[in-house]
Amino acid sequence: MSREISTCPLRLRHYPGHLEPEYAYTLGIAGERFFREIKENARIMGAKCKKCGKIYVPPKLYCEECFEKLEEWVDVGTKGTVYTFTISFLDEHGEKLEKPEIYALIKFKGTYGGIVHRLGEVKPENVRIGMKVQAVFKPLTERKGTINDIAYFKPIME
Amino acid sequence: MKDVAVVGVGCVGFRPVTPELSYKELMFEAAMRAYEDAGVNPRKDIDAFITCAEDYWEGFSIFDEFVPDQLGAVLKHLFTVSADGLFGLITAYMLIKTGHFDIVAVEAHSKASDILTYEGIVNFAFDPIFNRPLGGHPYYVAGMEMNRYLCETGTTLEQCAMVAVKNKRNALANPHACYGANITVKDVLCSECQFYPLKKLEISPLSDGCIVTVLASEDVATKLTDKPVWIRGVGWCTETPCLETRDWGRAVYTELAAEMAYKTAGIKNPVKEIDFAEVCDMFAYKELQHLEALKLCRRGEAGNLVEEGVTQRDGELPVNPSGGMLGMGYALEASGLQRVLEAVLQLRGEAGKRQLPEVETGVVQTWRGIPTATGAVVVLSK
Ligand SMILES: [Zn+2]
Repeated sequence: MSREISTCPLRLRHYPGHLEPEYAYTLGIAGERFFREIKENARIMGAKCKKCGKIYVPPKLYCEECFEKLEEWVDVGTKGTVYTFTISFLDEHGEKLEKPEIYALIKFKGTYGGIVHRLGEVKPENVRIGMKVQAVFKPLTERKGTINDIAYFKPIME
Repeated sequence: MKDVAVVGVGCVGFRPVTPELSYKELMFEAAMRAYEDAGVNPRKDIDAFITCAEDYWEGFSIFDEFVPDQLGAVLKHLFTVSADGLFGLITAYMLIKTGHFDIVAVEAHSKASDILTYEGIVNFAFDPIFNRPLGGHPYYVAGMEMNRYLCETGTTLEQCAMVAVKNKRNALANPHACYGANITVKDVLCSECQFYPLKKLEISPLSDGCIVTVLASEDVATKLTDKPVWIRGVGWCTETPCLETRDWGRAVYTELAAEMAYKTAGIKNPVKEIDFAEVCDMFAYKELQHLEALKLCRRGEAGNLVEEGVTQRDGELPVNPSGGMLGMGYALEASGLQRVLEAVLQLRGEAGKRQLPEVETGVVQTWRGIPTATGAVVVLSK
């Protein structure tokens, strides 16, 4: 999609290369707590700055604004509002998706930040900014402590 | 303190592919042209060299080491700025301002056609814990941002499409642009919807190319050329990297970078003092968002400007007379220098068929693309 090549570079002189970087990204103090709560208790946690009062979702160890250390944890619930969304018709390789994916930033009342995730149980044409949604967690046995332990967010009645 | 001027520019490209040249040869050609334009010998006259590159775009580690030979910088003072070319230009400006350097060369390039898994590389720039595991095409972030921008400002889909129509038409008059086209708003709106509400023709396709600029201190600049282009103001800013906490309606990173640049340039009223703008239009709506951030109109008004023809080449405030990135292609870290190249040619009166009449001052802006919230602004004058 983002490439418009009329000549295939593979047919010309080149040397093929392949990088295979592998990492184990450390979740950190805030990340570990966040994902453990999602995995074990199906809870979404934020971290509160005692100086400015902002509740960060996802939680961080520090406040972006005040540079304070955040030590107070807050359960922010599993219901939120669609702040913005898109319908993606292409997959991660730029190929056309059979079924488009809906991505959204979901904000939680009284908090700062939110969660970027997929929406489910809704037709793309019915999604609106401001729509109320709720996290749908995978069954406990399938949860691994990642953001994908939330399967998607689905619309709810207010 | 002494002023700093751009005294030379050299460009190769921009094209969808460059099968005959390696990235080193691409850089060599652009450098030769820039040094010829500035009338300098890199082995004797240039004090320092700056490259702007990112290892993942290049496909190997520590790209810094692969740079000096093709720029004439072996055994010279050289370093790499891992950012868009405009950050390199600003760094060169600061080096000269220290008084220790008189002539500095800045290079940025794109060999995007060498990247076979572009989407994967961009995905690798996402937060590895909170965002990357979601997968998907990284441009979903652009779709989400456009949607929020439209919602907050009332800008219409048609107005966004008009940006693509204008820039692709401007590109037809630019020999450095490869994506020029005579298309209509309807063509844009009917093109494939890829990341609702973003359409295919509103997305800058990738391109290959290289730009080298030569900067000099005041005394040296006036000796080298009759047409120095002065760097009057510079600014840069990074908002938060977090998708979750950033502002999705406004380009805050550009608002703050512009504030800094206007302050250093002594510009009080940008609408009156700026004659034309070259801004990042990687996605059509970004041009509008960036014009608002540059205070060239009020928030939510950029859509009206394009609709009323104000930003056309013959309008009151021409924007992206080069064709922008929609017309020249997204050239990775060379995107900012694409904007500088056009501004320099316009201010020198060397823009050929697309020359703007009577321009004194232009503003150049860049954004580092998905998923960043980083931008830079430079004010240039005759
Ligand atoms: Zn705080």
